[in-house]
Amino acid sequence: MANQKLKIYTVSQVSTLIKTVLESNLPARLTVTGQISDWKLHSSGHCYFSLKDEGAVLPCVMWGSSFKKVKFKPENGLAIFGTGHIDVYSPQGKYQFYVESMQPAGVGALQLAFEQMVKRLQAQGLFDEAHKRPLPRYPERIGILTSESGAAFQDIVKSIFDRWPCVRLYFYPVPVQGEGAAEKIASAIRDVNQRNDKLKLDVLIVGRGGGSLEDLWAFNEEVLARAIYDSKIPIISAVGHEVDTTIADLVADARASTPTKAGVVAVPDRREVLEKLTAVERRLAGEVGSLLELAGQRLETICASSVFRNPLLPVWNHQQQLDEMGGTLGELMRDMLAGAREKLREIYEQVVRLEPHRLLGRNEVAVNDLRSRANAAVTALLGRAAMQLTAQENRLAGLNPKAVLKRGYTITMLKQTGTVVKAAADVQMGDLLMTELAGENLIESKVIKK
Amino acid sequence: MVKEEVKNDVSKLTFEQAIKELTAIVGKIEQGEIALGDSLQQYEKGMTLIKHCRKILQEAEKRIEKIASEQDSGKS
Repeated sequence: MANQKLKIYTVSQVSTLIKTVLESNLPARLTVTGQISDWKLHSSGHCYFSLKDEGAVLPCVMWGSSFKKVKFKPENGLAIFGTGHIDVYSPQGKYQFYVESMQPAGVGALQLAFEQMVKRLQAQGLFDEAHKRPLPRYPERIGILTSESGAAFQDIVKSIFDRWPCVRLYFYPVPVQGEGAAEKIASAIRDVNQRNDKLKLDVLIVGRGGGSLEDLWAFNEEVLARAIYDSKIPIISAVGHEVDTTIADLVADARASTPTKAGVVAVPDRREVLEKLTAVERRLAGEVGSLLELAGQRLETICASSVFRNPLLPVWNHQQQLDEMGGTLGELMRDMLAGAREKLREIYEQVVRLEPHRLLGRNEVAVNDLRSRANAAVTALLGRAAMQLTAQENRLAGLNPKAVLKRGYTITMLKQTGTVVKAAADVQMGDLLMTELAGENLIESKVIKK
Repeated sequence: MVKEEVKNDVSKLTFEQAIKELTAIVGKIEQGEIALGDSLQQYEKGMTLIKHCRKILQEAEKRIEKIASEQDSGKS
């Protein structure tokens, strides 16, 4: 053999050498960017995956204790920044990247986690409109869950009392950021629900002031989302600034974009309601006023009708008929007498035309005859007229109701009302009666037997 | 219905209940579903309800009470 002394390395020696080279040439901690592939979450809680780019692959391990802190869900194809250290894993003869923390490469970890959470919970129906409870229109008791120290509480209170001071507020202080905050708020919501038969709250407001995504993170956590979903008391979320939308906002039954808008969502405007009451008052008075006017008009129409103005009219009509009949009879009588006189004249003229003086000599008997005939005719006519006159007179007398009285009949009336008694049923025992006899004489009596 | 009885019933109503009754009364009168005598009675009740609502709105006690978890404070 030549003078060459061949160094024979053991496997372990090579491994150690490589390790040394690595340690001296690579920073103790470095950040690597690449795409996740072959992701595996072991049952032990540790993660095994690779980071790769176009040219190479880097095997990775992330211990469970570190992975717990990762808020988003790593998946194959996701580009990330991994921070940790590289070391040789001797038992398998490979180098591994021990990742201590990771961030999504595209967007922030929290942002990604938020987007993933929204997708997941939406698919489970946590944001469904149909599930959201209606808010009471005029709440009497409102519960407020927020931090004792922040400005949010004062903002919420003021926004409510400015609009609707006749409501009672109940303050339940909770932490609104930091470790465990989400769980504490969720627990508070469950607590209030459980005690609500005594507390009698109509609606809850859960909120906090503005901040970064980290500050608001508690309101994106699943445990709080589920507590809001399950709450039987309607919940209004009032978180952060206008632009911030959290999971709590999406699950809540109603959303106020900031704590200062909580009042607008929770209660009505007192001034508007007072105006509406005045309008209703006017409407009511107007309606009833119209009804009264209508009734009044109808009453007036009835009063104006002739029946009410002139109740004696039917009686007067009859009286007038009687008068007219009397007048007619008188005229008839005059006409008849005038007729009889006419007739007499005609006969006389006839007689004159006959020239009785020439006929006198021979016709004395005839003249006498004529004369007696004329007399007879006139007498007969007058007699008939007189008879007719008497007949009419009698008829008229007969029409006079009071003539009957001369024959012994009487008219009996109830003293109290003046109504004529026609039957025994018209009177009661003990009634006072007025009886009219002929010649307008009246006697009073009492019913003692019927 | 005696006037005093109506007043007592109304004063016990919550704002929401009073508004509901008021809406019903106005509806009935406007529909012309009731006789004149009844509508006068309902009008009076309506006015009482409006007065009651106004009273509630003008009471501005602005009460805030603190409640906390039962386990923490032992309060109920």
